[in-house]
Amino acid sequence: MEKTLNLKINCLPTLTWNFLKLNRAEVNESVVLNGRGQSIIQNIPNGVIVGNTDNCGDCNGCDRDGSEKIKDIATGMGEEADRFFSEVCDGTLMVRAKRGMEIREPLCLDYRLGSGDGTAVRQEIIAEEGSTVTVIMDYTSEREDRGFFGVQTRLHARKGAVIRLIKIELLGRNYLHFDDIGALVEDGGAVELVQMELGGGRNYVGVNTELAGYKSSFTGHTGYLCMGSQSLDMNYYIGHSGKKSESSLIVRGALKDKAKKNFRGTIDLKHGAKGACGDEQEETLLLSEGVLNKTLPVILCDEDDVEGSHGATIGRLSSDILFYMQSRGMSPGEAEILMTKAKLNSIRNQITDEKSIGRIQHYMEEAFDNER
Amino acid sequence: MEKERTEVNDIDRSMYDFRYSEDDFYRVDEGLTPEIVLQISKEKHDPDWMREFRLKSLDTYHKLNVTDWGPDISGLNMDDIVTYVRPNTKMSAKWEEVPDDIKETFERLGIPQAERTSLAGVGAQYDSELVYHNVKDEVSELGVVYTDMESALTGEYEQMVKDHFMKLVPPTDHKFAALHGAVWSGGSFVYVPPGVKVDIPLQSYFRLNAAGAGQFEHTLIIVSEGADLHFIEGCSAPKYNVANLHAGCVELYVGKNARLRYSTIENWSKNMYNLNTKRAVCEEGGVIEWVSGSFGSHISYLYPSSILKGDGSRAEFTGITFAGTGQNLDTGAKMVHIGKRTSSFINTKSISKGGGISTYRSSVTVMPSAEDAKASVSCASLMLDDISRSDTVPAMDIRTDKADVGHEAKIGRISDDAVFYLMSRGISEEDAKAMIVSGFADQVSKELPLEYAVEMNNLIQLEMKGSIG
Repeated sequence: MEKTLNLKINCLPTLTWNFLKLNRAEVNESVVLNGRGQSIIQNIPNGVIVGNTDNCGDCNGCDRDGSEKIKDIATGMGEEADRFFSEVCDGTLMVRAKRGMEIREPLCLDYRLGSGDGTAVRQEIIAEEGSTVTVIMDYTSEREDRGFFGVQTRLHARKGAVIRLIKIELLGRNYLHFDDIGALVEDGGAVELVQMELGGGRNYVGVNTELAGYKSSFTGHTGYLCMGSQSLDMNYYIGHSGKKSESSLIVRGALKDKAKKNFRGTIDLKHGAKGACGDEQEETLLLSEGVLNKTLPVILCDEDDVEGSHGATIGRLSSDILFYMQSRGMSPGEAEILMTKAKLNSIRNQITDEKSIGRIQHYMEEAFDNER
Repeated sequence: MEKERTEVNDIDRSMYDFRYSEDDFYRVDEGLTPEIVLQISKEKHDPDWMREFRLKSLDTYHKLNVTDWGPDISGLNMDDIVTYVRPNTKMSAKWEEVPDDIKETFERLGIPQAERTSLAGVGAQYDSELVYHNVKDEVSELGVVYTDMESALTGEYEQMVKDHFMKLVPPTDHKFAALHGAVWSGGSFVYVPPGVKVDIPLQSYFRLNAAGAGQFEHTLIIVSEGADLHFIEGCSAPKYNVANLHAGCVELYVGKNARLRYSTIENWSKNMYNLNTKRAVCEEGGVIEWVSGSFGSHISYLYPSSILKGDGSRAEFTGITFAGTGQNLDTGAKMVHIGKRTSSFINTKSISKGGGISTYRSSVTVMPSAEDAKASVSCASLMLDDISRSDTVPAMDIRTDKADVGHEAKIGRISDDAVFYLMSRGISEEDAKAMIVSGFADQVSKELPLEYAVEMNNLIQLEMKGSIG
């Protein structure tokens, strides 16, 4: 099925000057959806239920109320993207961690894609009260592959539950990629998100997190590498409505050649969220003349008893670091690669799964080898 | 036991809230039509090119939409606004010749006294026209021109005005720039010749006295190569129950290695829609310094812009915004780096209180040509109660790898730790809190001329009582 996309996505919750072209992203292109490239689940850890929400009544321990609630969670790419996923996805893959279970082994969802594949999938991850679950999603194809891969993931961390979601995107340079995430966190719950956005040609990432519960929390770590003509458009929204809720978002990466990147990060400290605390930090290394970087870190504050902060550092490699590296015998090019790796590794270090680390490492080495 | 919350009083505007009758003033009809624009043009004895410019701007105004971002301005109906009100007097260079009630207005605002003690020249505008303009002999002897825009438009500087008027802020820039182009009146023209350093500031003061009126003054300043100027702008109005509009325009041309400091204390009344546009362009080595205090108006859209065109040019913006009850102040700055080795620094503070909304909005654009550009943005917001709101929306658009851009922002309330520390040093809790809030604003007030810093401190009358909730 060929589908023409005319979508306004990654919309800012509060608009600003239109000349900046940051209020939203627009996708106007056709994609072929052939359903190739579904997930491969190697093994299901004890305490995790995997099923399809279309027949969730068959799942032992399934909670209809929870299933309904999760459908209402807003996602970061916005309503038009949500409609797109609703139209084209058959069913939703559901992952559920049983109440009180601390599941150490990660559930791995591997998507191996090839050239010409076109797939959109929906997923839900529910961590029942007091449970802990780690899900690793890995989207991989060959470097020059062309295609479309869209994934929408809704997360619901119930009281005292922790969801660790690790997303590794290593798609081909001619892929159009959507990663649309929505999360709801209840009292004492936590969502920990790690994203490595390394591949893909045109990448759109949206993350919407609602910290609804008392002492709920969100930590986000995103690493990206955009080279050649790659583009990455990100939209993060963290809503604090729970008292003493906390959030931290760290985004680090590098742009090279003609790469483009937009980053929108919004911390919304809502009325009544007393004691809430939100922080976002962005670091971008600019490595070539032709790069384009746009950054918009927003804080919305409707409560006085809160703390909100953001910081951004955008620029080239500092001359002091470069001088030091050169005094140690490195060329400027080698110094750039080393520092880029250091930035990305600081994010990658959030991942403990050895296989995932190896895949990221391999991808990065290959990418830098092509640059040498 | 329920704790008592720190109280910080709203700004006291009583010294600005007085008015006089305008029965004998000339007014055009309410609304905005080609006939009204032509009438204003005729009253002002415009040259032909300006009349055409106004009509073209009006056409542009009708073609442009109101912005889809920022505070709601649906309460502003142009059909109710009188765009031109002329006092029944001519501009004079002597206060004695200014009508008593108008003179009294400026006396109460302290303008003549400031002129005597600390200014090189003063322009005073009342509604749509300047009523007083004077510059000290020693300054004019240096070749400095400081006059009203109308005189500049028809005198020996007409060509200079024509070459610069609304070239930095074209009417197509946005709807209210187009409105300004159509109905502008009043304002000042300043020309500082090459190498001339004006040691003491020039000041223009804009007073809007008429209810339901608009003020559209145009300020055009040209600081030539190697010259130096400090220009101060002040504005106020009494409060009415109908909407008033201020859509002024400021265009600043800073020549090679020249420096211009532009200081503003804006204290419009709380029925004012302040939709002002300010922009500067700097040639090689030029420096523009903005110091801005936004305290008044119902709605404000104000983002002074600096275009760093020349290599090595520099811009600084230091601003404070105090949004109290009934106010929605959307303020900030724009920096555009074009030349090599350009640098910019934005440092802002905002305070929200009594349900006021303060938004800090900025953009830093570094073009591909701006090699070795440096930009830094720092904004801090203080929330004084839980019924107010404070947002920060800073954007950075970087198009070269040879740039260094940094940004930091923080929002919060008065820190309990800081209060505790000061109290441990023997300072009372009330004094500690007052000290913290004063210190928060101090970084901006110290950049103001002394008399304005005093005015600002008077404006922010901080009364602290009890302990924080």
